[in-house]
Amino acid sequence: MGGRPSAATRGAFAKSSFQSQLMGVAAFHNTARRSAILPPGPQRIIGTVNDPAPVPEPSSAHGSYHWSFERLLAAGLVPLIVTPFASGSLNPATDAILCSVLLLHSHMGFQSVVIDYIPQKTYPGLRKIFWWLLNAATVTVGVGLYEFETNDVGITEAVKRIWRA
Amino acid sequence: MIAQRVGVAALRRGAAQPFFAQTLPRAALAASMSTTPTRSWSTSACRRPISPHLGIYKMEQTWFGASAWTRITGCVLSGTMYTYMAAYVVAPLVGLHIESASVAAAFGSLPFAIKGGLKFALGFPFAFHFFVGLKHLVYDMGKGFAKDTIIKSEKILWGVSIVGGLVLAFFV
Repeated sequence: MGGRPSAATRGAFAKSSFQSQLMGVAAFHNTARRSAILPPGPQRIIGTVNDPAPVPEPSSAHGSYHWSFERLLAAGLVPLIVTPFASGSLNPATDAILCSVLLLHSHMGFQSVVIDYIPQKTYPGLRKIFWWLLNAATVTVGVGLYEFETNDVGITEAVKRIWRA
Repeated sequence: MIAQRVGVAALRRGAAQPFFAQTLPRAALAASMSTTPTRSWSTSACRRPISPHLGIYKMEQTWFGASAWTRITGCVLSGTMYTYMAAYVVAPLVGLHIESASVAAAFGSLPFAIKGGLKFALGFPFAFHFFVGLKHLVYDMGKGFAKDTIIKSEKILWGVSIVGGLVLAFFV
């Protein structure tokens, strides 16, 4: 600070500046309602305004292969789900494949939910926790599916029986 | 940056106001000259709201968008599977009976309306996720992106999924 203004002036400025900013935000949003969505979370600026956004390292495992694999699973689920119910016959191998594809499809879906709603930048710790919670849940569910397929009637037959109970 | 705007606004306001009303904003402007600009810029930038904010859109524009409902219905279906299968693993350890025969027996003893309601609560998400999944596979081939097609297909999608959910709940 150069020529120090009096404490009273600084106080008045700080208040008026902060209030005008808040009023600016309120006017822009044009509503007095409290946010219907979660608040933005802690934000920080890395470097300066003129630094470009970092470009992630290109990797086909995280890019096109991942995308194609996701689509392959989704498309594969269509016949895997329709066939056993339409034909009425049951094949343990088909049922096992259905379970595996369902598990992977669900896991990838939940992964994208975690990626979207717990940003790495804002909540790095929370992201890590949820990422590993999801991994643990998927392993547990995988064990459950294996048990269900081997000791129970299998997922297709179980759905059929419960649905028609 | 913001501090400069405050100053400009204060000067504009000052032009139409009596002298005594100008003194405080001018003092504020003087104060702003001696602050470090980077710091005030970064603190104000961190206070900005994030966008987009769902509340700024009309209900019919975003609330029934298929994209969000794909995720919601998918989470309902996968969430049900995850809950049941994880419970199936721990059930023997805590002495719970949730094998398919007991669940079927318990479900069969429920009144018709509740049975139908529960079936619709899973049948509708299944139908929606199934049909929207097919639609997204068509999108992935780069087809169906005309605005009319999107609007029309979303309406058809909702109709077919609700009917599909009802059929699964009451006629299967």
